[in-house]
Amino acid sequence: MAGREDDEESRWPGAASGGVFAGNDEIHQDLAAVDWTATPLGPPQAWEQSLRTAVSILLSSRFPMWMAWGPELTFFCNTAYRRDTLGRKYPWALGRPASEVWAEVWEDIGPRVTGVLGTGKATWDEALLLFLERSGYSEETYHTFSYSALRDDAGTVVGMLCVVSEDTDRVIGERRMATLRDLGSDVSVARSEERMLAFAARQLAHNERDLPFTLTYLFDEDGGARLAAATGMAPGHPAAPALLAADDPDAVWPVHEPAASRSAVVVLDREPFTGLPAGAWPQPPAQALVVPLLQQGSDPYGFLVAGLNRYRRPDEATRGFVELVAAHLAAGVGSARSYRVQQRRAEELAELDRAKTAFFSNVSHEFRTPLALIMGPAEELQARLAGAEPQVREELEVIRRNGMRLGKLVNTLLDFSRIEAGRMQAGYERADLAALTAELASVFRSAVEAAGLSFDVDCPPLPQPVLLDRGMWEKVVLNLLSNALKFTFDGGIRLTVQDGPGEAVVTVADTGVGVPEQEMPRLFERFHRVANVRARSNEGSGIGLALVKELVALHGGTIGAASREGEGTTFTVRLPYGNGHLPPDAAVGADGTPAPPSGAEPYVQEALRWLPDPAVPAEVPGQGGGTSGGAPVDVVVADDNADMREYLTRLLRGAGHRVRAVGDGKAALEAVHAHAPDLVVADVMMPRLDGLQLVATLRAAPRTAGVPVLLVSARAGQEASVEGLDAGADDYLVKPFSAAELLARVRANVELARLRTQHARWRRALTDSMQEAFFVCDAQGGIVEANAAFADVLGFGPEDLPAGPDQPWWPDAAADPEGHRLVAEAFAGPEERSGAGHILPLRHRDGRPLSVSASLARVQDPETGGQMVVGTLRDVTAEQYAIRRESAVAALSVRLSRSASTAESLDGALKEMGALWQARHALAVVFPDGGRPVLTATGGATDWSALTAEHRAALTALRDGPPLTPSGDGHGGVGVGLAHPRGPMVLWLDLGEQRPFTDQDVNLLSLLAGHLVQGLSRAHQIDQQRETALALQRAILGPAELPEGFAVRYEPAARPLEVGGDWYDTVALSDGRIGIVVGDCVGRGLQAAAVMGQLRSACRALLLQDPRPDRVLLALDRFAANIPGAMCTTVFCGVLDPGSGRVAYSSAGHPPGVLVDPDGGVRLLDQGRSTPLAVRAVDSRPWAQEEVPPHATLLLYTDGLVERRRRPLTEGIDRAGAAVREARHIGVEDLAARVMDRMAPPGGYDDDVALLLYRHPAPLSVRFPAEAAQLAPVRRALRSWLNQCALPPQTVQNVLVAAGEACANAVEHGHRDTPGDTIRLRAEAQQGSMRLTVSDTGRWRPPRPEANPNRGRGIALMRALMQNVTVTSGPDGTTVAMNTGIPR
Amino acid sequence: MTTPLSLICSNRPDGAVVLAVTGEVDMSNCAELAAAADQALGRGPGSLVVDLSAVGYLDSAGLKELLTRADRIEIVASGVLGPVLTVSGLTELTAVHGLEPPGRLDGDLPTQPYEPPS
Repeated sequence: MAGREDDEESRWPGAASGGVFAGNDEIHQDLAAVDWTATPLGPPQAWEQSLRTAVSILLSSRFPMWMAWGPELTFFCNTAYRRDTLGRKYPWALGRPASEVWAEVWEDIGPRVTGVLGTGKATWDEALLLFLERSGYSEETYHTFSYSALRDDAGTVVGMLCVVSEDTDRVIGERRMATLRDLGSDVSVARSEERMLAFAARQLAHNERDLPFTLTYLFDEDGGARLAAATGMAPGHPAAPALLAADDPDAVWPVHEPAASRSAVVVLDREPFTGLPAGAWPQPPAQALVVPLLQQGSDPYGFLVAGLNRYRRPDEATRGFVELVAAHLAAGVGSARSYRVQQRRAEELAELDRAKTAFFSNVSHEFRTPLALIMGPAEELQARLAGAEPQVREELEVIRRNGMRLGKLVNTLLDFSRIEAGRMQAGYERADLAALTAELASVFRSAVEAAGLSFDVDCPPLPQPVLLDRGMWEKVVLNLLSNALKFTFDGGIRLTVQDGPGEAVVTVADTGVGVPEQEMPRLFERFHRVANVRARSNEGSGIGLALVKELVALHGGTIGAASREGEGTTFTVRLPYGNGHLPPDAAVGADGTPAPPSGAEPYVQEALRWLPDPAVPAEVPGQGGGTSGGAPVDVVVADDNADMREYLTRLLRGAGHRVRAVGDGKAALEAVHAHAPDLVVADVMMPRLDGLQLVATLRAAPRTAGVPVLLVSARAGQEASVEGLDAGADDYLVKPFSAAELLARVRANVELARLRTQHARWRRALTDSMQEAFFVCDAQGGIVEANAAFADVLGFGPEDLPAGPDQPWWPDAAADPEGHRLVAEAFAGPEERSGAGHILPLRHRDGRPLSVSASLARVQDPETGGQMVVGTLRDVTAEQYAIRRESAVAALSVRLSRSASTAESLDGALKEMGALWQARHALAVVFPDGGRPVLTATGGATDWSALTAEHRAALTALRDGPPLTPSGDGHGGVGVGLAHPRGPMVLWLDLGEQRPFTDQDVNLLSLLAGHLVQGLSRAHQIDQQRETALALQRAILGPAELPEGFAVRYEPAARPLEVGGDWYDTVALSDGRIGIVVGDCVGRGLQAAAVMGQLRSACRALLLQDPRPDRVLLALDRFAANIPGAMCTTVFCGVLDPGSGRVAYSSAGHPPGVLVDPDGGVRLLDQGRSTPLAVRAVDSRPWAQEEVPPHATLLLYTDGLVERRRRPLTEGIDRAGAAVREARHIGVEDLAARVMDRMAPPGGYDDDVALLLYRHPAPLSVRFPAEAAQLAPVRRALRSWLNQCALPPQTVQNVLVAAGEACANAVEHGHRDTPGDTIRLRAEAQQGSMRLTVSDTGRWRPPRPEANPNRGRGIALMRALMQNVTVTSGPDGTTVAMNTGIPR
Repeated sequence: MTTPLSLICSNRPDGAVVLAVTGEVDMSNCAELAAAADQALGRGPGSLVVDLSAVGYLDSAGLKELLTRADRIEIVASGVLGPVLTVSGLTELTAVHGLEPPGRLDGDLPTQPYEPPS
């Protein structure tokens, strides 16, 4: 193989260079191709060894390097350098002087190079900013590089090696990261929008390189935008208006784009963008990016305008950076706004709290006076009546006890409001905490032991006293103990006092019900009561523990709680010794002697009343016989307050009733179940099961549903009683009440209940015997009563139904608003006692829709006076279905019969079926043989790829399944497969969640799908016929491609035909001339079109055979004579020489052509006229000649354009001439549209119209290979065309030179790599201007006069000789465009 | 194929060498012009008159050859070449005979000054 390698080497271009460039890379070949003899280095074979070595090191390195050698510092580089840095300068740079290669940065690097060459010492530069011209613009780049000296064989420094790495991406990336990091560096600014924006602006202003200027606009409520922050931009700059209107199309920034959450690029090349700040750069930005400040799930907050660094290409990374900045601003604005809202809410809450505290304080004070006036006389009476009968003493005791309890409650509230207001004055004194606490415990012992609980008190003496307010400490201990007693039913309570580190520790532990874990955090919250726990009493205000906590805190102590549900709760209070924790001005009294606790009695008395009172027997049957009015009845009394329980018992027994008294709702339920009473009297607030729950439970069970319940509650007010009655209570009594009131209500309720049960039994038997569903409902629709048939029809019995409106058997208000409205109106509507028939859409319990015939009547409830509705229902679903099926089939058939295409048929069918089932969307997918599935839909997705994968799978499964067999997906979607003429099709209805699709629906869908198949098939046949007709029509109308300079319009009179009797034609003749024909057959529609097609073909053939207009028409005369209907056809036939503008023409009775000169003069081509075709036999026809001058326009047309009833034809021709004259400077294509528009009668054209325009000279379009030798012929063609345009010689010369330079540029540069590619030159005269474009497919090189003086001069020439010279370079090539005015 | 160009060198009675150019000059044949001019310059120490009166087209490739020799030649040209010779600066580097007075041309020149990109 070694031998082979030698052979290979001999073929390398490098071989000729003495092997210096031996290698197979492109760079070796390009280096070898350099004409080294033209450089000071001479031929490579003669290079000294040191240069060869340096070059070989350079070329073999994969690290980017370049080197310079010799007197001119001749440039070499390797592949890596070429790729990373050299860009478009490759391979031009090879072998050039280094100062020429890097001319644009030589100012920066030149001194470094000189330094290396002079001293031999290496340089090192890190991330040096250099503006390179390697990518077609001045580019901001950063390079880290080192220059080191290269020595020749004699050791003299003769060159330098540069090892370089480009850091541009890193430097710019780090800079942007720093900005983003700084933006997020201070979270505290997020509290105010202004501070946040100002902070962000300071950070953005630091990065003047990426963001020369920024503007932050925020949207106002009216959609306008207001400037909220700016960087880099001086205030009041016209490019930064303070306000931007929402609907101003001329606004400085495009507000509507960010408002629609879109970004936009604004090119800053016009007013008011002059004098923009340049940031850190010499030149201001050329583009700005407008990015919305997006808000999740809502419209953007505003937008950011970022001026972009013109020295970087605005790439994805730039856009991404600006979007991240915008995202940060949006997040900042969002969090500032939400902070502001929260702040306001917190202030409102604090204000509410203050108002409430003031209220409590006032009310509590007001209570104390009447209380004192109750308690004083009561105690006095007790003393005076010590010897009175027991019942009097007992009742006085009740008064005193409850007065005391009320006093305690008021005092607690007052304490609390004092603490809240900061007015609680504590009187501290040194106290023996252990002794004091034990004393309090002993007072409570009797109550604890009466409850059957153990009470363990362990209070050893403490080493030092604690500073205490005795009154407060009493409240702490008593509250904790009564709390423990209230929630403990078994086990006991333990109270300990211990010495801790610097503090005394007091614990109260119970074995009670415990506190649920989720309630623990709120245990000490005011008014918070743990719900649904078993307690000895439901009494309480919910402020005991909150007060304890505040009191402990006033002592500088803490309180904590630990609890396990069902095991017990332990409260731990810690009080510090000494006085360091107390306020300095706190009064400290002398050591007091332990006195008996003063405020303990109310606590103990209250606790004792929670316990069962053995003194009162729970039931004393048979006591008392004769009552005042009515038979004695059995009553169950349920109340957790022993005093109230005893009071009620005493009253009822006194009236002769039999009473069973219980302490809570559960016990009451048990009592009722044991023996059904005639009446239940129950408190609303009770532990275990409250009064409302008790009523609900009784009502739910048939056996107890009829038991009358009288609720008693302290909660006054309308809502409370409504709540009670709603729950099913028969009556409601508010505390306080009089004894007589209670007894009267008891009697009334018992009697009513007896009557009711008797009537109810009779009525039930009657209604149940009815075959139709019968019901009674209240005004809101809640069913009060219903018979057995009601449950048969709807699936619901009255016990399954809720009270109030929105019954489950009504249509769902959200899914079927129309049905819901219908039913609601029917129930609200019936007149008093008048039956009314309705068909209502109702729902069965299993979800299936029902059609029900309902007769409803409004009646007044004789007992309550409330409005009720009674009604009967009959299920007519099956009958309704039959009607619906008939009408659906009929509606679909009508739709299909009216459709003129398959698309229209399908669209109509989808709408019909979607409406029938009230589907959210209906869609159809056609699976053409092997093609992409095609979607038609009434909403939702419009493309197969936009559907979810599951949906696509479901549709495909239906396609592959049996046809006309509907099937649902179980989530409210149902589909059916059927045959479409283009392939299998699936029709799909999206019915929405929880909409049942019944068997009847399945049958109907299948039936309709069958009809649809037939309809589609019929429409498909129509489609095919129409397509065939259209293809034929287009074939006979006119040429497929028009020559340059022409424009045509065609308007057939008979729709939907696309052709009529008129025609136009252009024929390219072999000598470069162009035949032009415009003709008009008699009549219109298909028949005229058939004649026209034949004449057109004939005329075309004749023109090709003998291009003389008169002879063509003569021959056409003979041809037309043999075609029925061709007689009297008018034809204008002309032959145009596009070079000279001369047109020879002959007219067979056709209206004259119109010629409009550039100066606006109008001439008619009205010579060479003779009769229409085949009117009489002629031997010859006349012809004439006219010259179309440069920039003149020729108009040919048929009479449909100009002929109007009762108007002379000449008037129409004049108008047509005027229409062309008015717009004679615009392009012919636009002119044709303008003329058609101008000439159209008010109701549109009612005759066929053909129109043909020609502007002389036609644009010049030349394509030629990119070779220098082509320049002269192209120039000749251009010169000849320019002469046609009648331009002054100097203008011709200027255009020629400018075009020549552009072409030479394209040849020399655009195609340096691929010579022979096509260059395109186009010249066009319009609107008083000559436009010239030269396009190539090569890469454009920006002019660099210092590198190539010749080319730079070329560009300079173009700019000097022409106007608006633009060079547009893209991946597909480069286009040079320029203009010059045409002197008139 | 290059663009046809005729180059005839002669001596004027006053001893000056005249190079009469006929045809069009573009990048395909500017080297011929250069060679002829150099040859003519080699004929004597005096100045060379390049007569462009019969040149109908001259682009930047031809201008380059004239500019590089501007200090040794004089030019005769017809008015049609005026803008090209003026814009290129040749009229400032050497004598150009036969043009219209330059004032007439000023009005035709575009107002936008040319600036090479930085």
